[in-house]
Amino acid sequence: MNDNTAKNLALSHMWVAFIAFILACFMGEYQVLERSGLFEILSSPTVYFASVSTHGVLMAFVLTTFFIMGFGYYTASTSLKVPVWNKQLAWGGFSLALLGTVLAAIPLLTGFASVMYTFYPPIQAAFVFYLGATLLIVGSWVWCGIMIVMFLQWKQENPGKTIPLAMFATTMNALLWLWTSAGVALESLFLIVPWSLGWTDTIDVGMARTLFAWTLHPIVYFWLLPAYTAFYVFVPKQAGSFLFSDELARAAFIVLVVFSLPIGFHHLYMDPEQAKGWKMLHGVGTFVVAIPTFMTGFTVIASLEIAGRLRGGKGLFGWIGSLPWTNTMVLSVILSLLMLIFGGWGGLVNASYAMNAMIHNTAWVPGHFHLIFAGTTVIMYFAIAYYLWPILTKKPLYSNNLALVQLWTWFIGMSIMTTPWHVLGLLGQPRRISSVVYNNLMTLSWKPYELLMILGGLVLLGSACLFIYLLVKTQFNATTEVFEGQVEYAEPLHAVKDLPEYLNDIKLWNKVIAVFMAISFGIPILQFFFLDTYDSSAWGY
Amino acid sequence: MKQLSEEERKKILESSPVGTWVLMLTVSASMVIGWLFLYYGVFLPRGIIN
Repeated sequence: MNDNTAKNLALSHMWVAFIAFILACFMGEYQVLERSGLFEILSSPTVYFASVSTHGVLMAFVLTTFFIMGFGYYTASTSLKVPVWNKQLAWGGFSLALLGTVLAAIPLLTGFASVMYTFYPPIQAAFVFYLGATLLIVGSWVWCGIMIVMFLQWKQENPGKTIPLAMFATTMNALLWLWTSAGVALESLFLIVPWSLGWTDTIDVGMARTLFAWTLHPIVYFWLLPAYTAFYVFVPKQAGSFLFSDELARAAFIVLVVFSLPIGFHHLYMDPEQAKGWKMLHGVGTFVVAIPTFMTGFTVIASLEIAGRLRGGKGLFGWIGSLPWTNTMVLSVILSLLMLIFGGWGGLVNASYAMNAMIHNTAWVPGHFHLIFAGTTVIMYFAIAYYLWPILTKKPLYSNNLALVQLWTWFIGMSIMTTPWHVLGLLGQPRRISSVVYNNLMTLSWKPYELLMILGGLVLLGSACLFIYLLVKTQFNATTEVFEGQVEYAEPLHAVKDLPEYLNDIKLWNKVIAVFMAISFGIPILQFFFLDTYDSSAWGY
Repeated sequence: MKQLSEEERKKILESSPVGTWVLMLTVSASMVIGWLFLYYGVFLPRGIIN
């Protein structure tokens, strides 16, 4: 299947994603320098919060959403072997999302939306910021719709056949995003937009935070699922092996999507607006998400073990050394899984109801989500880009060796930056502060860790620049050499036969999610209509 | 890289991923131990909030 529309869509979306990424990396390094307080000339809370808000929006919303859409279009087209359905609509979605990004960038860069990427009320941004964010989300809904239509059309035209795993995973992610984004859409539509336009004077902060919690945790899995998709559908083939179990992979995606949704209250453990029983319910659900994570770890590592043994590896762990470590996809998955182990462990600490009190709102939290998102997830975005760029541009990767250097430096930089971040959290450093203005023994003890974070940030910035350099040099290389390779999906070790329909469709799981969401969020949201609550006036502009 | 015979290849494809099981159990046990250390070694000794 050689669908030029899918290629152009993938390239356009991914370029927007990676331009956002590199801009955000420069801001990240500025922030770690400013926050350390070691450079008086950089000290400016105003600039810091404008930067940290832009950094968060670019990384968490722009990089991810555009990357996922671009990767999704290409995965759908190549795995189903059909053109992208309704290409005008797809380009319309892209344009809408891009317009939203530009609109949101204006107040962000001019200091009128320094509300961080969580934009928790009562901190208020200029209306244009919310409008831009809304358009970005609506653009992504277009992508969700196209993925679901392509999924259903293929099923209709191929009755009884097994939908390719890559498409099953992509459509599950589209379903997840529709459910996930509904929370923040409700918050924006009924609370934030009327308030930011001045139609209402005050806002119910508790309800706003509850609706955002609906979105805030599963959004992480929306970002992560493309990484998992690559784990399952690219890595085994690149390692020279087979996918250990297609069925286990599907089950992992289902459990992950279903259980990632009704768990957002672990972000509200310290909030007063929800009762402890609901928090406990969401907390238990958070631990359940560890199950598909372990299923994924097992399936991917088993696929790698087979690859290593097929390459001559012996003994209990001898196969690890036999793996093709110079393959960017294989190296990435190893580094990604390593970061997932430590980041996942940190997540279990966050989810622990009692222990959360120790690290809540401390530097531990950004340390954790940088390790999981910028580490585990983004390193797989790099791997996917290195794999797809030669296919999309028909030019060979500029330098495999430099790509390996880039991946290693990203891993090393992320380890150097996030380890002290976690420690600082345990030492009591709050998050969401621009500087430490008092010098006592406690804050002075933070300095060595902040110096390490600056070093880690510098390594990461260098690695990010190298990544962009490699993409540019690959695409715009004057070489006459033509890359003829096509995308190759991993075959399962045992052919899939008689797959039960629940592992081959999304309809049942959509209903299950609806029930879970009604149970987990029904009363916690409805209570705001029956209880006396007290609104807050706006802080900001 | 040594060329495998068809029999060796078949044996690898049909065998259980023992290394993976050991790795997963080790990681799981380490995570539990790490969690317990943080709970009993760091969190509880800090005492109640005054």
